[in-house]
Amino acid sequence: MLAILSVELRKLNRSLALVLALAAPSLIGIFIFFNMMRGKAPMPWEMWLGSSTAIWAFFMLPMSVTALTALVAHMEHGPRSWDHLRALPVPRWKIYAAKAVCVLALVAAMSLLNLAITYGAVSAAAAIKPVLGPAGDPDLAGSLMLLGKVWLAGLLMVALQFWTALRFASFVPALTLGIGGTFFAVVATVAKAGVFFPWQMPVNMLATEAWRVNTALGLGGGLGLVVLILAVAHLGRREVL
Amino acid sequence: MSAAIETLDLTRRFGRHLAVDAVSMCVPERAVYGFLGRNGAGKTTTLKMLLGLIRPSAGTARVAGIDVAGDRIGAARRVGALLEAHGFYGNLTGRENLDLTRTLLGLPAGEVDRVLEVVDMVEFACRRVSDFSLGMRQRLGLARAMLGAPSVLVLDEPTSGLDPDGIADMRRFLKALPERTGATVLLSSHLLGEIEQTASHIGIVHEGRLVLEGDLARLKADLAPEIALRVDDGARAAAVLRSHDLSLSEQGGELVAQLRRGDDHDLACAGLNRALVEAGVSVFAITPRARSLEGIYRQVSSPTPPRLEPEIV
Repeated sequence: MLAILSVELRKLNRSLALVLALAAPSLIGIFIFFNMMRGKAPMPWEMWLGSSTAIWAFFMLPMSVTALTALVAHMEHGPRSWDHLRALPVPRWKIYAAKAVCVLALVAAMSLLNLAITYGAVSAAAAIKPVLGPAGDPDLAGSLMLLGKVWLAGLLMVALQFWTALRFASFVPALTLGIGGTFFAVVATVAKAGVFFPWQMPVNMLATEAWRVNTALGLGGGLGLVVLILAVAHLGRREVL
Repeated sequence: MSAAIETLDLTRRFGRHLAVDAVSMCVPERAVYGFLGRNGAGKTTTLKMLLGLIRPSAGTARVAGIDVAGDRIGAARRVGALLEAHGFYGNLTGRENLDLTRTLLGLPAGEVDRVLEVVDMVEFACRRVSDFSLGMRQRLGLARAMLGAPSVLVLDEPTSGLDPDGIADMRRFLKALPERTGATVLLSSHLLGEIEQTASHIGIVHEGRLVLEGDLARLKADLAPEIALRVDDGARAAAVLRSHDLSLSEQGGELVAQLRRGDDHDLACAGLNRALVEAGVSVFAITPRARSLEGIYRQVSSPTPPRLEPEIV
């Protein structure tokens, strides 16, 4: 499995995946920086880190997952590599599992990067305009915990996007699904039913009601893991004609 | 000679369409087996079943004695494949592409250099594949198929898209492969000339069915030769030839008489000439025509063939 993972990482390393992994959190950082610079009074760290996580959870994460899974899938769909890969003496499920692990690892890295870039953006803005410097120390452990929950709750969304992107050679179904999911996540962020909607489960980690957090976490993480395993098994078993 | 690849009643349906119909083929070890058939005849579907890429609806396929359906990974260890879609990553170099497959196969790092040398691609290996010509991609694909020195090579249209020089190079290379590496080569093509000059054995597939299989040299030697005649009165000549119980056809303005298997060619020519002259037919030319692969192919894959049992030679 390590050999297959290393192959996937080498492929990703030379693709545009790393650009995407850097660009998405950077956009949030840029937004936070300029938003802070236009302020008049200092705001607490909690507000800036919370805003960053919220933007990440309800918009940038679903869009990034859509783009990332499409990119990972297109690495094989584009040059029509499936026949070569699937003819090798390697269990096919491992090839798909390695891709899923790479996607999840990249999303986790992007989450961490989001926190780091936000911290950097706030610190930079405070250095330029010291009067806006947030008081106290940032709760980095709390932010990390929250981002971890967002990541876990996003598992079902990742599984659905991953299966769609790899199942269909055209990127249209996966992009349509991702854009549609993100659209409803954005326009109906506070909808109660959103807790059952895979693209809204991550943002529900910021809810104040415990049942919403627990339901979205349980469904997103638990069901997400099951769906991801089923997706890998199905992709490994199906015929690619 | 034992079989490197053997199928028994291999069948594949796609819905109501029967793509491969009870194909029983046998590729002897160290043979270059030309798998012939027009586009859509079922060649690629058969190859995909041999590689375990699709499952047969019925029948079995064995590679190096291993049942592909029962032990796909075991069978895949014995096979290297060059498929129509190369599946190279254009943003990586030739060497990097090979190294990905080498890693997946668990082979030592030196294996990449070995196969690059075999296909004479060492000097181009550090270029990105997106900058490769089609011929270079084919050679790189061949190098990748040979990683780990598999005992069986399955090559789908290996000369497709190559220029005449590239085709000649590929032909020489494939012909020498069994001797150089001990491998068995199964190559599919619809280019009769290429197969005729490369293969030691052939199998012809038509509308999903294997209609002819055998050792190419024996196949050509065993079949009766033909005589082409140019005469002044084709109708009268045809009547004379039919009285000698010969099969006739007209090709390019010539009468072509198919001799019976085992007929002495010279005696037959002399006899026919005498009979035609005695019947008042002026004979301008009598030309022997050895049966070519193209002739064999046309015969067994005519557009509306009778239901043929595969002929084993």
